[in-house]
Amino acid sequence: MNIAIKILSKLALLVALLTLMNFVYVQFFFEKDLQKQSKVINKVRAIPMDTDILYMGESSNTTFSKYDFDKRSISGMLQDYFPSLKIHDITKPASHAGIYTILLDNLPEASEIKTVIVTLNLRSFNADWIYSKLETSLQKSMVLLRDYPPLVNRFQLSFKDYDIKIKKQRTAQIREKWAEDKFSFPYSFPYNNVIEWDYAMATKGVKNHKGEIDYKATELACHFIKSYAFQIDTSHNIRIKEFDKLIALSKKRGWDLVMNLMAENTEKAEKLVGDDLLYLMNENRKILIAYFNHKGIKVVDNLNAVADKQFIDQNWTTEHYAEIGRRIIANNMATELKKSYPSQYQAPHLLDYSKVFFENNGEQKNGWDQTQTLSNEIVFSGELASKTDKENKYSLTFSYPLRNINTQFTHGIDIDFQVFQTIPNDSVKLVIELTGKYIENIWHGEMISSQITETKTWTPFHYHFKIPQKAIFADLVKIYIYNPSINTVYFDDIKIRFKKE
Amino acid sequence: MLFNTIDFVFFLPIVIILYYALPHKYRWVLLLIASYYFYMCWKVEYIFLIIFSTLIDYFSGIQMGKKKDKKKRLPYLILSLLTNLGLLFTFKYFNFFSDSINFAFQKINLAYQIPLINVLLPVGISFYTFQTLSYSIDVYLGKQKAEKHLGYFALYVSFFPQLVAGPIERFSRLTPQLKAKHQFTYNNLANGLRLILYGLFIKMVIADNLSGLVDQVYKSPETYNSIDIITAVFLYSFQIYSDFYGYSIIAIGSALIMGIKIMDNFQTPYLSKNIAEFWQRWHISLSTWFRDYLYYPMGGNRVEYARWIFNIFVVFIVSGIWHGANWTFIIWGALYGVVYLAEKITNDTFGLQKSYPAYSFGHLFLALKTFIFVSLIWIFFRSQSFMEAIDIFKYMGSNFHINIDHLVIPKVTWIMLSIFILSDILLYNKRFDSWIGSFPFPIRWVIYSLLIFFILIFSGVENFPFIYFQF
Repeated sequence: MNIAIKILSKLALLVALLTLMNFVYVQFFFEKDLQKQSKVINKVRAIPMDTDILYMGESSNTTFSKYDFDKRSISGMLQDYFPSLKIHDITKPASHAGIYTILLDNLPEASEIKTVIVTLNLRSFNADWIYSKLETSLQKSMVLLRDYPPLVNRFQLSFKDYDIKIKKQRTAQIREKWAEDKFSFPYSFPYNNVIEWDYAMATKGVKNHKGEIDYKATELACHFIKSYAFQIDTSHNIRIKEFDKLIALSKKRGWDLVMNLMAENTEKAEKLVGDDLLYLMNENRKILIAYFNHKGIKVVDNLNAVADKQFIDQNWTTEHYAEIGRRIIANNMATELKKSYPSQYQAPHLLDYSKVFFENNGEQKNGWDQTQTLSNEIVFSGELASKTDKENKYSLTFSYPLRNINTQFTHGIDIDFQVFQTIPNDSVKLVIELTGKYIENIWHGEMISSQITETKTWTPFHYHFKIPQKAIFADLVKIYIYNPSINTVYFDDIKIRFKKE
Repeated sequence: MLFNTIDFVFFLPIVIILYYALPHKYRWVLLLIASYYFYMCWKVEYIFLIIFSTLIDYFSGIQMGKKKDKKKRLPYLILSLLTNLGLLFTFKYFNFFSDSINFAFQKINLAYQIPLINVLLPVGISFYTFQTLSYSIDVYLGKQKAEKHLGYFALYVSFFPQLVAGPIERFSRLTPQLKAKHQFTYNNLANGLRLILYGLFIKMVIADNLSGLVDQVYKSPETYNSIDIITAVFLYSFQIYSDFYGYSIIAIGSALIMGIKIMDNFQTPYLSKNIAEFWQRWHISLSTWFRDYLYYPMGGNRVEYARWIFNIFVVFIVSGIWHGANWTFIIWGALYGVVYLAEKITNDTFGLQKSYPAYSFGHLFLALKTFIFVSLIWIFFRSQSFMEAIDIFKYMGSNFHINIDHLVIPKVTWIMLSIFILSDILLYNKRFDSWIGSFPFPIRWVIYSLLIFFILIFSGVENFPFIYFQF
């Protein structure tokens, strides 16, 4: 009895001390820890309270090709369809339902979000991703955001209350799961599991048109098998359980949850591996859609929506799409959201890919790079002009895939703009860059001083650039003004016209 | 399961409550189940290695116990040795030997290559195989009666607090304690918790914060200034000490709450006046193991001078090999042999073997000298390869003008390290639990509060497993 009292009194003292420590921690250390361990909280905090639609995404949302004219994210493109709604995103690479749930749980109760879109990534249901080595740091970054007092969260972080397996253990876990999960095809299939299939593919190889083994294609085919050859078991899959928690949270917070089933490169999967892999991918799609629809959740099905050439990573399995791919997904999502927001929907003015004339007086940011140079100090028209100086040597930049221009018009470019300089400047150049996989890159510079000597006044500049024959298959054309000097020069009203001759 | 994880925070109290709640005759069952579970948390299949080793040694022990003639016991000792050393060789040394032989083959243009095996090294295999080997040898020598109770024997091999990183206990010390009926005492609870608290502090706050700093310098020493490299070398001395000492006292504290006293593994080793004393204070359970089962059987120092030198080298080199399958560990062990002999010869020749009072100038000066030697020798222990170690020495002496990277040690890390060093100096020839227990209640609780606060707020958050787990 005596000992029990002794222990209980010490425990009471400990609880009091811990309460005090929690206070000290919150006052002096918690925010610092958050900024060090869970920086993603800043993205959550940056979501305005009056947001209507929140897009939760991984790298598929923001990855773009350097050849894209419109480099915006999927969520950014979605805004085109609902200009009156406030659409924001939280993008964290490699994240998944488990991560989304914690982040969403950290949104303030007062937030007015109506719709939450989350990516539904097929690969994320595979053991390869569930037990990925990236999980350690991902999980670690979530510990301080858990729904407990800050000191309890710090205790959990200090005592590694997250998945901390070492790389070798994770590899073993993946192999074990792969060996354990047997395929079930409605027809006879020679391999029992992904390990056997992968081994068979690696041994047989993918043959090229000459009948020789194409090692690169074989490696990629094996990778496709390892990424997609699995069958989702909704009663045991960890990711499904995480989505269930996410659904429960959405219900509790009154959000309309929409799942964005991401496009996979099914075209390449079929070409490299064949119909069997495609069968598994489509079956998993059906399972997911049926499972979530049954729970009353809308799923936008993009699985086969994006063509092979729109996948940026051609030698790996990712959900990284070039501009048209992202646009297709945004469009499909907008079609679904239109049902909830019919009056706010507007068919957007999409880029006209047969267009040959482009202009920008500083107001147009879409598809133009170096927009940080826009300034309202001195303008020719509108409210902004591009300012170059020792901080920004490159002006507002036109960056466009040349293949999107009708080939009749890829022979010459007329370039016009207005220049404002304070002193005569001999080092400023108009630059035309043509780059691509199949051409020798071209860099052409034209001195501005060849035409302009006036100072402190806006002066027009005109230049005609003849596109060399060898460059008409360039992937990308970039046009900008390069100012290596320390003197400030402004540019406005840039007009670019592709010409037949 | 790691001591510094949330799993252990729940596991230990549950085991202790059940331990005292159960009648004495069932406690061994609980501890055995808990120990196997503790091990299986890391990799389930490898429990079969422990069970296999246990069964062989149990059987060998029983058989040896039946034979009066030493010669008739020998086959069973060999069986035990082959089994345990065979396991060690397969999982720990096979690839090292294959690599070395393949390298030799390459040098003589032989195309044959011995294949390598790709398996996870079973955590703590060197510890539990040595623990059980000591039992077999003792039974063979007639120093120990064979254990007839398979359960207690299995528990001796796998007792969870010291299963994966020691201290390596002797059968004659541990098993009677496992069999004894322990009553719950407040003192054992308090002392155990004190040790666990201090162990967690030095592992999580000191070792884990130093680990990242040391790693970055060892990864690319060429980009760091000599001063930074020297700093990292000394920091590693504190990292490995706090890491291993931390583990040991958590193990000792955990067992103590159950009334089981595990041997001390460290006694302020960096305050040793020479290398001989360092090895009496560092990883004591291993050095005494080598003393009793290798050094003494070879004749110890009661042999001719040349033979004694040989004995010393053998012990240190075997100790190096025990630590890991790499030439760096062999060099590390051999260097201790060299410094040990050099010190011994110098002291004998010039009569320097004086006894200095604790904390006197002479004591601290010699301790500093030993610390510098040990820190330099640790370079081989820490490096992944011989060339990496050589690079550390090279850049340490030549990078005075390099300033590509800079080792930034946070203020809080300096403060915590200073607290640790100071407490270690104060703990000379004392144990933390009894030392802290000698303070009045308010001071004790201020110290507890600070340690808890430091553990919660300043712990390293990266996952750095205990260094000695790899052995």
